[in-house]
Amino acid sequence: MSQTAAVAAPDHSTQAPPVVIARSLSKVYGAGDSAVRALDGVSVEFARGHFTAIMGPSGSGKSTLMHCLAGLDTASSGTVHLGRTDITRLNDRQLTQLRRDRIGFIFQSFNLLPMLTAEQNILLPAQIAKRKVDRERFERLIDVVGLRDRLDHLPSKLSGGQQQRVAVARALLGAPEVVYADEPTGNLDSRSGAGVLSFLRDSARDMGQTVVMVTHDPVAASYADRVIFLRDGRLVDEVHAPTAETVSDRLLKLES
Amino acid sequence: MLRTTLAGLRMHKARLVTTALAIALGVMFVSGTLVFSDTLKAGFSTKMMGSADDFAAVAVPEADEGAPADPEAPLPSLPAGALEKVRDLPEVAAAGGMTRGDAPLLDKDGRSVGAMPTIGMSLGDGTRFQPTEGALPDGSGEVALATTSADATGYGVGDTVTVLDSEGDRHEFTVSGLVDFGVDGELAYRGVVAFDEDTARAMTGAEGYSEIDAAAAEGVTDAEVVGAVEDAVGPGADVETGTAYGEQLAKNAGADTQVLTVGLMLFALISVFVAAIVIYNTFAILVAQRQREMALLRCVGSARGQVFRSVLTEALVVGLIASALGIAAGVAAGWAGFAFGGEALGADTSQPLVVGVLPVVVGMTVGTVMALGAALLPAWRATRVPPLAALRTSATAQGLEKGIGWVRITIGAVLFLISGGIVFVATNVGVGATGMILTTVAGLICFVGVVVLSPLLVRAVVAAVSPVMRRVGVASMLAADNSRRSPKRAATAMIALTVGATLITGYAVVNASLKTTMDEMLAEQFPADYLVSAPMDEPDAVVPQESVDALEESDATGTVIEQRQTYTGGDEATGDLPVSTYIGGTLGGDLKNDAVSGALSGMGPGKVAVSEGYAGDREAGDMLPVATEDGVKEYEIAAVLEDGGTLWGATLAPEDFEKAFPSIEGSSEILVNGAEGASAQQVRDAVYDAVADAPTVGVSSMAEMKAQFDDVLNIAFLAIAAMLGLAIIIAVFGIANTMALSVLERTRESAMLRALGLARGQLRRMLSIEAVVLCLIGAGVGILLGVVFGWAAGTSAMPSMVFTLPVAQIAVFIGVAVAAGLLASVLPGRKAAGQSITGALASE
Repeated sequence: MSQTAAVAAPDHSTQAPPVVIARSLSKVYGAGDSAVRALDGVSVEFARGHFTAIMGPSGSGKSTLMHCLAGLDTASSGTVHLGRTDITRLNDRQLTQLRRDRIGFIFQSFNLLPMLTAEQNILLPAQIAKRKVDRERFERLIDVVGLRDRLDHLPSKLSGGQQQRVAVARALLGAPEVVYADEPTGNLDSRSGAGVLSFLRDSARDMGQTVVMVTHDPVAASYADRVIFLRDGRLVDEVHAPTAETVSDRLLKLES
Repeated sequence: MLRTTLAGLRMHKARLVTTALAIALGVMFVSGTLVFSDTLKAGFSTKMMGSADDFAAVAVPEADEGAPADPEAPLPSLPAGALEKVRDLPEVAAAGGMTRGDAPLLDKDGRSVGAMPTIGMSLGDGTRFQPTEGALPDGSGEVALATTSADATGYGVGDTVTVLDSEGDRHEFTVSGLVDFGVDGELAYRGVVAFDEDTARAMTGAEGYSEIDAAAAEGVTDAEVVGAVEDAVGPGADVETGTAYGEQLAKNAGADTQVLTVGLMLFALISVFVAAIVIYNTFAILVAQRQREMALLRCVGSARGQVFRSVLTEALVVGLIASALGIAAGVAAGWAGFAFGGEALGADTSQPLVVGVLPVVVGMTVGTVMALGAALLPAWRATRVPPLAALRTSATAQGLEKGIGWVRITIGAVLFLISGGIVFVATNVGVGATGMILTTVAGLICFVGVVVLSPLLVRAVVAAVSPVMRRVGVASMLAADNSRRSPKRAATAMIALTVGATLITGYAVVNASLKTTMDEMLAEQFPADYLVSAPMDEPDAVVPQESVDALEESDATGTVIEQRQTYTGGDEATGDLPVSTYIGGTLGGDLKNDAVSGALSGMGPGKVAVSEGYAGDREAGDMLPVATEDGVKEYEIAAVLEDGGTLWGATLAPEDFEKAFPSIEGSSEILVNGAEGASAQQVRDAVYDAVADAPTVGVSSMAEMKAQFDDVLNIAFLAIAAMLGLAIIIAVFGIANTMALSVLERTRESAMLRALGLARGQLRRMLSIEAVVLCLIGAGVGILLGVVFGWAAGTSAMPSMVFTLPVAQIAVFIGVAVAAGLLASVLPGRKAAGQSITGALASE
């Protein structure tokens, strides 16, 4: 399946305009001797309608990069642009607004609210943003993710795969400019994981949804159009139209 | 194991701070009360002892034990020559005597103070009492006032006061000083004007001495002086050593302290109870949150008993530390209470703080036992955690609490039914103490029912209001859902508040109902703006005719009704029959009284209205015999009146009364109503002008009586509200603690919400609304229970009570509940909103 995915992925990384641009992004934790450079001058672009995976060994800074790109964490230096907005210059209120309207999130441990039903969880961001829900998009999404008959279930009554599909639907409903996924299949069995990943890939391909995913699983990365590799806070490699094998090879090389 | 527990305690310090505070506050109340009452008692003693201890012997007239106190009889006294004899004794170095009689002090309106005339006393050489301000009276132009009299009239040192002598003539004096006579009930109630001995005799006409105090000559023991004085004064005197006399006085004062202590302790126990609820909830939540930790301990080989002991050790350490803090705070509170309240209670405020062993021991015991007791159940639950739970992901993030159902509903319903039944019995059958006890029992049973049902209650209430909350905004929507996720926890937090709310509302209902009832009774028994009455201490006294004429002539007064009254032979059972007539007022019009049979409107010459208690079995239309000055005459009963109203005994038409009792010419009471259009001040001036020449005639006004009565009730309410306030504060701590622990548990969730675009303010608001909802439910349940049981208690104690809902006060309670919720959520809200998103997301 990963083979066909790699073949089918269109290589339009050079033509499509970038949605997210990071320039010389650095992040330093602590100060003096104990200072740790989690990110060290990373410059990267993410094109519209592309599904990009960020990979790297543990401690390579991939999660930090995603947090900085998403405005969840502040960079020590460098800039991040989402569209025309330099998000490194925004204050907390503006960042909150940005996350509400322009960014979607998918977390490793689903992070659904236990007291809300699947439907209420999906509609939550719209409610937080006081946005009108696009019913047509909602109906289409729940059909695609196959949750129609589970809408009024509480998360505790859903399987892990179903919960993550709720989280994916929640992230995509508002048609954000970019969706960030942090190890979305980390807590799923391979079958459920494959379902979620193909859905992410399809949403990029069919709906033009920009998706940035952090993962350490070469199979998961193979669903992406492009994989970028980080080591010690630096961008070290990049693979277009990846397969699980190519990704594994590169990773092994990085580790050695 | 102990080391693990202590390390855990150090790590979770912050989580236990509020718990410790709750314990400390409860302990503070208990030990504060003990310190306060010990110091107060000591303060009374030093004062009493200080005043009497310096004397070797104190001689007072022998009290006629057993014989009923007859206010008409002259006070017993020691013979006039006794002081000289005592002074001449070789064993006595110096001696002083006190005389005692009536010396009515006039207030600034020129009226005699109080219903009973002020006591006139002599304070001469060698007196026990020393002035608290100014000097003792010296010479015929000076007086000293009791501090209570000075407070009542507003006179101070240097002012000129008017005092009536035994003939009723006015004399002016300069106030030389103020004397605190301490806790003697009669002196405090009537007030004291003190003169030097000659002036006292001239003013009061008192003969002899009410007390002789003797100091011992050098080398003479107190016992010898007592013996010598006994011989000198002769029979009819009680002679004791000064120490014994002082101890007796102090003991009497101590009895008052005892009542106060018991009352304060009751409120302290309520606080302790609420604190116990808070502690229970905290430990229950902590144990639930630390399931994995407990399971891990079991995994590495801890026995169940060790886990159990580790939770209890934690409670023990927290209990000990918090109790110690509470005792320290209690000593401070006791000191503050004594410093501010001691003087008002008449104690010597220079008394240093008395901190005995008892407050420390009791405080430590109460705090520690409470903490241990409250942690028992959570500790047992901790032992039920299977070791496997350590391997599960997050135990606490598991769905919603389950397991509240039909058992709860059944138990709750049964308890409510029992409680309702008892209330029914109490309000219909038991009057007085039994009814009150039954109501209390019913209240407790009902409360247990509420506790059992409270998780369901929280769920139901939130479910009922959540459609509205969902519509308001995302913060209140999330709050509504959060409130429902652990109803047991929410319910326990809420119950702590319910205790205080129930008690305070219950008392408010009783208070408000009492006020209305008293107002109605006053209006019924007091059908006029002013009541002018003959001096109380003389049975045949009348209001002077000049005053009556002046009242009738004044433009400011409207109806002026003269009441003439006499007592005439009745039967054994009822005693003398009071016979009255009212001149100038129509019966059934100006003067109303509900009738059992007949009607007041049927009154006229030849007829009589009689109150039920004196009617025997007679009804309207029967004849009532009245022993007149001219022999027994029979009158036809026009109406039999309900007891306790305006009219009392038999009421005759004026012409009949005149014929029957020609010797009664004066009025014992005058009812005065203001003229239409006259201002309150004009009416007051008119009334006071009319009686200016008769200072001992009593003037009371409906408005002033009502105001005085309301004052007393308001002060009582404020005092009780303040006492219960601490329990409410502890409950708010409990709610804050529950919120804080929930916030900890939901750290990831909050971070996720923030990542989804929930602003910090919205997150804070969500928690505030959650806390407010919790407080409102708690207060609402409490208010409901308080209203029901306030009504039940009032009705069972006083069947004629007019139920009144204290709407304004209840509105204030609801406001306080909202404020408490907002307050309780401040710190948890700050913590939740201040959390970094990435950090919280990464943490497991």
